[in-house]
Amino acid sequence: MAEEEDDYMTMLVEDPTVKPKETSIQRRARKQKESEQKGRTKSKKELEAEAEAARDAALNTALDPSNKGFQMMAKLGFKPGTALGKASDARTEPIQVALKEDRGGIGHLNARKRKFRTEAGEENLAKLAKMDPEAYRERIRLEREQKRFEGQLHAAQKVAEQFAESEEEAERATGATNAESKPLTSINVLWRGLVRDRLEKEREKQLRLEMQARTLDDPEHDSDEEDLGPGKGPSEEAITFQELDEEDPELNDFEAMTVDEQLEKVVEHLRKERQYCFYCKYQYPDPEMDGCPGLTEEDHD
Amino acid sequence: MADSGYQTEENRQAKRQKTEGGAMDPKTNPYLAHMYEEQGVEVNSYRGNGGYGGMKQSNSVLANFQRHKTTSEQAKKAEDGPQNPITDRQLSQQYFNILQTRRGLPVHAQRDEFLALYQKSQILVFVGETGSGKTTQIPQFVLFDDLPEFQNKMVCCTQPRRVAAMSVAQRVAQEMDVTLGEEVGYSIRFEDKTSPKTILKYMTDGMLLREAMHDNDLKRYSTIILDEAHERTLATDILMGLLKEVVKRRPDLKIVVMSATLDATKFQKYFYEAPLLAVPGRTHPVEIFYTPEPENDYLEAAIRTVVQIHATEPEGDILLFLTGEEEIEDACRKITLETDELVRAADAGPLKVYPLYGSLPPYQQQKIFEPAPAPRTKDGRPGRKVIVSTNIAETSLTIDGIVYVVDPGFSKQKVYNPRIRVESLLVSPISKASAQQRAGRAGRTRPGKCFRLYTEPAFKKELIEQTYPEILRSNLSATVLDLKKLGVDDLVHFDLMDPPAPETLMRALEELNYLACLDDDGELTQLGRLAAEFPLDPALAVMLISSPEFYCSNEMLSLTALLSVPQIFVRPANARKRADEMKDLFAHPSGDHLTMLNVYHAFRGPQAQDNPKQWCHDHFLSYRALQQADNIRLQLKRIMEREEIELMSTPFEDKKYYENIQRALVAGFFMQVAKRDGTGKTYITVKDDQSVLLHPSTVLGQDSDWVVYNEYVLTSKNYIRTVTAIKPEWLLDIAPVYYDLSTFKKGDIKNSLQRIRDKLKRRDAMRSGR
Repeated sequence: MAEEEDDYMTMLVEDPTVKPKETSIQRRARKQKESEQKGRTKSKKELEAEAEAARDAALNTALDPSNKGFQMMAKLGFKPGTALGKASDARTEPIQVALKEDRGGIGHLNARKRKFRTEAGEENLAKLAKMDPEAYRERIRLEREQKRFEGQLHAAQKVAEQFAESEEEAERATGATNAESKPLTSINVLWRGLVRDRLEKEREKQLRLEMQARTLDDPEHDSDEEDLGPGKGPSEEAITFQELDEEDPELNDFEAMTVDEQLEKVVEHLRKERQYCFYCKYQYPDPEMDGCPGLTEEDHD
Repeated sequence: MADSGYQTEENRQAKRQKTEGGAMDPKTNPYLAHMYEEQGVEVNSYRGNGGYGGMKQSNSVLANFQRHKTTSEQAKKAEDGPQNPITDRQLSQQYFNILQTRRGLPVHAQRDEFLALYQKSQILVFVGETGSGKTTQIPQFVLFDDLPEFQNKMVCCTQPRRVAAMSVAQRVAQEMDVTLGEEVGYSIRFEDKTSPKTILKYMTDGMLLREAMHDNDLKRYSTIILDEAHERTLATDILMGLLKEVVKRRPDLKIVVMSATLDATKFQKYFYEAPLLAVPGRTHPVEIFYTPEPENDYLEAAIRTVVQIHATEPEGDILLFLTGEEEIEDACRKITLETDELVRAADAGPLKVYPLYGSLPPYQQQKIFEPAPAPRTKDGRPGRKVIVSTNIAETSLTIDGIVYVVDPGFSKQKVYNPRIRVESLLVSPISKASAQQRAGRAGRTRPGKCFRLYTEPAFKKELIEQTYPEILRSNLSATVLDLKKLGVDDLVHFDLMDPPAPETLMRALEELNYLACLDDDGELTQLGRLAAEFPLDPALAVMLISSPEFYCSNEMLSLTALLSVPQIFVRPANARKRADEMKDLFAHPSGDHLTMLNVYHAFRGPQAQDNPKQWCHDHFLSYRALQQADNIRLQLKRIMEREEIELMSTPFEDKKYYENIQRALVAGFFMQVAKRDGTGKTYITVKDDQSVLLHPSTVLGQDSDWVVYNEYVLTSKNYIRTVTAIKPEWLLDIAPVYYDLSTFKKGDIKNSLQRIRDKLKRRDAMRSGR
């Protein structure tokens, strides 16, 4: 099988056939054209891509009125764009041709389905990108940038949280709110993810400790309540931990945005609410934020 | 050459043809037989000539039945004997045994309801799930009420598949205690097992369509039953469109449309809101399981699932659906390997794996009905069988004992695209309806389980509701020719249940016009009329009809037969090299068509005919396919003789022997030509400008600039298969209309053809100048 495959894929480039009689001008033009083409031999992949593009083009081009069949149908009263027959839901376009080239199951995300029509072009690009060193560099650059955005988002969220906390403390000092813990959902969604992550880590740590304690101390104990620790009822933390298992659509929506979009939101919040520029790392005294070069990171370069 | 002996035989046949073929009496035309039978028929007599004539009705119980006013009570009495109500003969013990089973079938409970609706309405839609007994029983119900023998008519029941038509007819003949081919018969392409006595005829839908060509009102039938209409074959769809018109012209004709699925309301709506009767099948609940995540590799997942079922689930056989021969054989090997391990290591029960696909020889297909293997020890774990099948096990074959179904969700489906004129079998996701049908296979004997190798959301979102009917996925040039012959003039407004895309009709009309079967107004030409007589693709028919012009009609007849059967070369995975060597023995340097002819001539030679089976086996050829080709050749020859098409051959010694054949090939297939692109391996198809490769199976060398091909197939690459070298001059000479260069796009093909045309012109000028 493999032998065959190799065999008919090999491109043998033989001498170009000698064309009969032509004028000297024609010959020179042809020679020049040929040498130009020779200078850039098309790769097998390129040829394949060309063949595929030709097919896609053909598949996307409806037969036109020059077609004899069309003319015969027109004599029977057929109008372009209409369907045949008398059914109300008849099709006007042929069924799409889709080629399956792998064994990905139904609904498999990476199913490399070669859809001939619209996606085909994009996929070709993706294929080319894979081979192109320029594209590789670009991809690496994007990945790095992504990482940097994540770091910045984390930092910005921390700043925002600190502002909020200091505000709360100030309020608590004036007695506006009590010191009781508040549900996760009351935290601004902009940095709720940060708090959530932290809580999750804590819970994990605590569970690990509990497990260790249980196995070491008293293997026969199996009461839930006492597992939480001696003399400690369901703690305030435990309630928050429970919350961790609940769905948080608001947070999900926020995190569905790209990292740089999330960052933009937090930065915007800091500017508006705290008159703080994340990139200047400075809290301006006035809402106009006089002296800050602009909204984006580039403005601060 | 191995075929010299055959050659003389062919010549003899050609001579015989010339002396006999002269006067064709229309009475000998089998398609017209009924018209002549009707002449001189007395009122109420039973099939005038032959049969048992008037005597029968005086004795028969049925003679006292009032047509379309009978009840199930009356029918039951008649069936109870002791005399056979149809033949008046004594009924056998076997008959009564079967009768008991028949009475237990679900449809029997609703016989009265059926009769009431049947009597009241001209068209009836009947829904009966698999196992309800509809295919065998409903035609008999109709027979006892419609009493066609007293009308000098017949009841027919169509089937999408030849095998089904044959086997069901056989079964019903048994049930009615008559000889197959007498009162109950069947008719399939190339085989007619009926007699003047026949009152119930099972036939393929394609056959009924062919009959309609010569008898547009289907006058020989009193009731037409379209079975398995849900399968929506091309022929059934066309028949439905025709019958919709026929019922208006023939108020005495009754139609029963039978479907196995519940979307029958579509049929109802299409047939003027006909009444619907549904009978539940005898099925058990099937529990459906989905995978939590989409599968990376459905084949691997399928094998894993089968092994897991064997290891953990209670007794019951497994049915796994895959897409094609290669995949199925691969899976069978792997399942056997893995379960052998399981049997050894974990003491699982014994397991037998059977493949099932269309091209499997019948004796191997029969194996699937063998019972599951017995436990290895007396108290050992029960054995199990696994059937790995294409979707033929989805509707057409019923295997009892299946409790587990594994469904990866794919099947090979035909697709046709008129824009690049490609018709191919491609692996595609199945429809929801198909998935349900597959699941249902698990509940035939007891409650079962179906493991779908995809997620539930994927089932809901990614699968289409219904499989596209064949008419939307096929090249329609043969169908359009048939419709023309059937007297349908306005193809644009012909009322089909699912009209195809307009471009499909466009291409078909265009092709028929280039083949000179239709004129520019879309009217049938003389050639078109003749071509429609052949049950072939128009290109093949035209090739055959014009072959005497090239002095090679005998050869083209053989070639047409060979192109109408599945692959004649066998290439088993474990002996590919040997098989290829054997094929090389027959290889003709000019291409595959000629190679196939060499094979056929050798097959008909005395050496091979000594023991043809062994000979085929030794030469890696399919005996079945060659035999089938032989049979088709004979049938086609009859049509040629009937139509007075001369059978002849160029003497084999003549150096034009092969060239004539190649030219004749061009006369039919000038629209399937490709030219080599420069000096590379790729070819470009003429007019469509698609880049294609020669299929690896070809014997053709790389030095042919122009080729004619039989098929354009899409796989991971685009291939043309079965190719033969031709000369471009022939194209301009034989098909000048298609090769009118002013209609060509600029490019290499046009330039080449132009040069050749100029050369030919110069040569002609020189000749005439001389």
